[in-house]
Amino acid sequence: MNPGDRVRVDRADRTYEGVLLPSSTDEQLVVKLEGGYNVGVDRDGADISVLAEDVYEIDGDADGDDAVDAAEDADADADDDASDEVEFDDDLPTISLISTGGTIASTVDYRTGAVTAQFDAEDVLRAVPDLAGRANYRGRVVANILSENMEPPIWQDLAEAVHEEIENGADGVVVMHGTDTMQYSASALSFMLETPVPIVFTGSQRSADRPSSDNVMNAVSAVEAAKSDCAEVLVCMHGTESDDVCALHRGTRVRKNHTSRRDAFETVGAEPLGTVDYHSETVSFRRDYQERGEVDLTLSDALESDVELLKFTPGMDPAFLDVVEGAEGLVIEGTGLGHVHTDLIPRIEELIADGTTVVMTSQCLEGRVCDRVYDTGRDLLDAGVIEAGDTLPGTAKVKLMWALANEESVTETMQTSIAGELQERSVPWE
Amino acid sequence: MSTRETASGSGAESDLDYDDLGLVAGLEIHQQLDTTTKLFCQCPTELREPEEADRTFTRYLHPTRSELGEIDEAALEESRVDREFEYLAYDSTCLVEEDDEPPHELDAEALETVLEIAQLMDMSPVDQAHVMRKIVVDGSNTSGFQRSTLIATDGEIETSEGAVGIEDLMLEEESAQRVEETDDGVRYSLDRLGIPLVEIGTKPDISTPEQALEAAERIGMLLRSTGKVKRGLGTIRQDVNVSIADGARVEIKGVQSLDDIDDIVRTEAARQRELVEIREELAERDASVGDVQDVTDVFEDTESGVIGGALNSGGAVMGVPLAGFDGIVGREIAPDRRLGTELSDHAKRHGAGGIFHTDELPAYGVTEDEVAALREAVGAGPDDAVAIVAADTDVAEAAIEAAAERAETALEGVPEETRGANDDGTTRYLRPLPGAARMYPETDVPPVEPDPSEVPEPELLTEKVERYQDEFDLGEGLAEQVAYGKHMPLFEDVVADGIDPTLAATTLESTLTELRRDDVPIEALTEAHIASVLQLVEAGELPNEGVPDLLTVLAEEPDQTAEEAAEDAGLGGADEAEVREAVVGVVERNEEQVAEEGMQAFSGLMGECMGALRGKADGDLVSQLLREEIQKRS
Repeated sequence: MNPGDRVRVDRADRTYEGVLLPSSTDEQLVVKLEGGYNVGVDRDGADISVLAEDVYEIDGDADGDDAVDAAEDADADADDDASDEVEFDDDLPTISLISTGGTIASTVDYRTGAVTAQFDAEDVLRAVPDLAGRANYRGRVVANILSENMEPPIWQDLAEAVHEEIENGADGVVVMHGTDTMQYSASALSFMLETPVPIVFTGSQRSADRPSSDNVMNAVSAVEAAKSDCAEVLVCMHGTESDDVCALHRGTRVRKNHTSRRDAFETVGAEPLGTVDYHSETVSFRRDYQERGEVDLTLSDALESDVELLKFTPGMDPAFLDVVEGAEGLVIEGTGLGHVHTDLIPRIEELIADGTTVVMTSQCLEGRVCDRVYDTGRDLLDAGVIEAGDTLPGTAKVKLMWALANEESVTETMQTSIAGELQERSVPWE
Repeated sequence: MSTRETASGSGAESDLDYDDLGLVAGLEIHQQLDTTTKLFCQCPTELREPEEADRTFTRYLHPTRSELGEIDEAALEESRVDREFEYLAYDSTCLVEEDDEPPHELDAEALETVLEIAQLMDMSPVDQAHVMRKIVVDGSNTSGFQRSTLIATDGEIETSEGAVGIEDLMLEEESAQRVEETDDGVRYSLDRLGIPLVEIGTKPDISTPEQALEAAERIGMLLRSTGKVKRGLGTIRQDVNVSIADGARVEIKGVQSLDDIDDIVRTEAARQRELVEIREELAERDASVGDVQDVTDVFEDTESGVIGGALNSGGAVMGVPLAGFDGIVGREIAPDRRLGTELSDHAKRHGAGGIFHTDELPAYGVTEDEVAALREAVGAGPDDAVAIVAADTDVAEAAIEAAAERAETALEGVPEETRGANDDGTTRYLRPLPGAARMYPETDVPPVEPDPSEVPEPELLTEKVERYQDEFDLGEGLAEQVAYGKHMPLFEDVVADGIDPTLAATTLESTLTELRRDDVPIEALTEAHIASVLQLVEAGELPNEGVPDLLTVLAEEPDQTAEEAAEDAGLGGADEAEVREAVVGVVERNEEQVAEEGMQAFSGLMGECMGALRGKADGDLVSQLLREEIQKRS
């Protein structure tokens, strides 16, 4: 008896006939009945007979080791068909679709019942037919992971892949990414790449296996943004709860601010840089941006991995600071203007003396750090803490990883805007 | 004679021998549950007016594959039409209804209620219930699917024509209410979305229209016996599945009134029989459907408003020859519905206004010459028919193809399909039958294991009627009214609290009805209002006669308590001295009559006394004092 077999299960006074599903467990059989309903039947005391074998081919994962398989699949795809070309039209720009996994390209895992990413970029084209006719597409899979499993080495793989695609003539790049850590990856690419074409991250908040998924509109809008004149790293996600407008956020200023809403992504401290109107398919911008072709393509993808982000909260055990002893970098998410408990300052001073670069950001998220206002702040500055202005804490961590590996003066770099992450003027209404 | 009478009363239909025809029918009953919260969120299950909406948003839906890799045919057909859906949201709805938050766990109260219903129908609950997504892309669910869970299977109910098996019982979420068509699509209201709904499907054990009605009534009675189902218009809907031996399974959606069920079955059986006869006749004639052709030229100078209008705005006329169909397209298959109406229904699904066919032409401004030219253009002879559609070119092409496809099906007999109930007892084509491919698991909600051991067994309404007669001395009619009425749970509550059953029953069933007839806004009365009015009577603070007046005052000013309203309106509490004063006044005004008639004057004066006291006094006391006063004077 295997998943995909048509079976009859008799238990107590009941009989169920249908297809055996792989979501069955040791305790329960799960059977898909004729009408489409799934039902769980206790194995205990159940009399099972197979009526027909393999009536459905079930795309389950036989050995049950998803992580390994996903990685293997991704490797295989990357090697075998690193760039699948789909019908070419001379009049259309070429857009590279790079997949890293995530809800936009996900499906229901039949065995676990969970939503997982199983599609490569070409499947996305098949899944989102609305993309057809907008561009020539090149598909590429860099990873096939849930975005909570994202790691800095994959940012590097991603940056290299994007670099290669642009070198090979892509007029724009769309990166399909899980939403959980999209802002970190977008920040990483913002620092690692100087780009002459748009690099647009997109994903979906509601999985692609539901008719109401936001994946179609987000993907279409991302492609339109990738065809635009804005050669920056952008995040393109729903701008409202309606299927009407996508917002274009600068990769270093964006934050996922809601667990489930379609319009979860927001630019912190300003209106989004631009919008894509889904009806008219027009892309427009509120502020200045780096134009297409303004800079030459360069890649600086070195990262210092030994950097931590620590959020200070009342009652925090000072021992947390011992954990980061010897680290290359530490970003603190302080309170208010950029503070921690006064008692922690001597320990921070020791860390800095020991060679750790310590950067201060604020858990207020909105507004800039200013440690010259109160004594605590002045003591922190005296201890050698670097203020990161209004750089978002997560962005500051990625930036510090990048700065430590690429720049000589880390202090100066952390206080200078590299990719729009640090705003000179606080004008949140713009 | 109304159309309705034609549907149910025409001799030919009611005389059908259903045994002979091989009639098989089944029911699907959908009933809203009266739970505190919705099935997958903590929002209340109350309905709102569209004007009360405080947010709107718009969405599109795209069909997806099931976990077995299939796309449902019905969903696909629905999605060919690219429509924008607008949703109205309220202060009583949340992000779950907006499909912007994962569903919460299955509501425990709803589960307990459906287990109670399952028990009443002698069904077996499943070991583990899996919430499924049933793909519905018409916009009525923001997610693009309806969550539905199989809870129990294999039950039975009794009818006078034998037992009817109950196939399955599902707990599902109610869809959003369609408010209106908009320019770009449809506007829906989210208040109804997510209210728990039980779906009960019978086995195809029903063999006559009367049995269908009886089974539906029986199921309705069982549902209401729980006291936990919603009442009123739209809270229960019936779908009917009908087939005859040579026909096909047709699912008829949205039968609004229980009383229509037997007519619907009758009309559908007759429609299928007509279609079978048409198939046989077409076979004899060796009929066939020809190729679609552009016949715009024929109508270049037409006087027909419909065709001319389409051509003037740059459209086209598309036609299809139907060889051997002459006289058949116009044949009536249900009251006032012809085979041509079926073709037209399919054409309408693709945006056309309908079709014209040669069995009804010349008419509608189309001349005899044009009909002759049309026949010639498509090569149709005298035994053939021609169907045409005039519309924008794209629409006309899609619509005539759909009509031609339906004509093709007529050669095979009765198509399996989903139809919608019309108000006149007939039905219209809606879409193909949905299949199993539209179901896939709702991974956001964990499976639940129903525990039937703790489910109470409710008293049936039929049992209540008997108990009310035996225990409370209510007459059979009143007992039935109360038991089947929507105030049954309130009646039981107040009687348990010591209210006289007759007083409670008459108040709930007659007094409220009379007040409604007098245009008193009784919908403003809460159960608490009614209960406290009855308590005042029980406590001797309000005479029976004061009940209608006090309810009227409360209905008009529902913010008051019963005690406040009684005091303000001067109802109740008239003491003996006050009553005697009023009675003496009446007797003195009618001194002559009392002197002449003595006690004979009693009944006339009693009415006057009650009027003078305006419900403030107990009738028995008034009667006693009036007798005394008359006695004194005669």
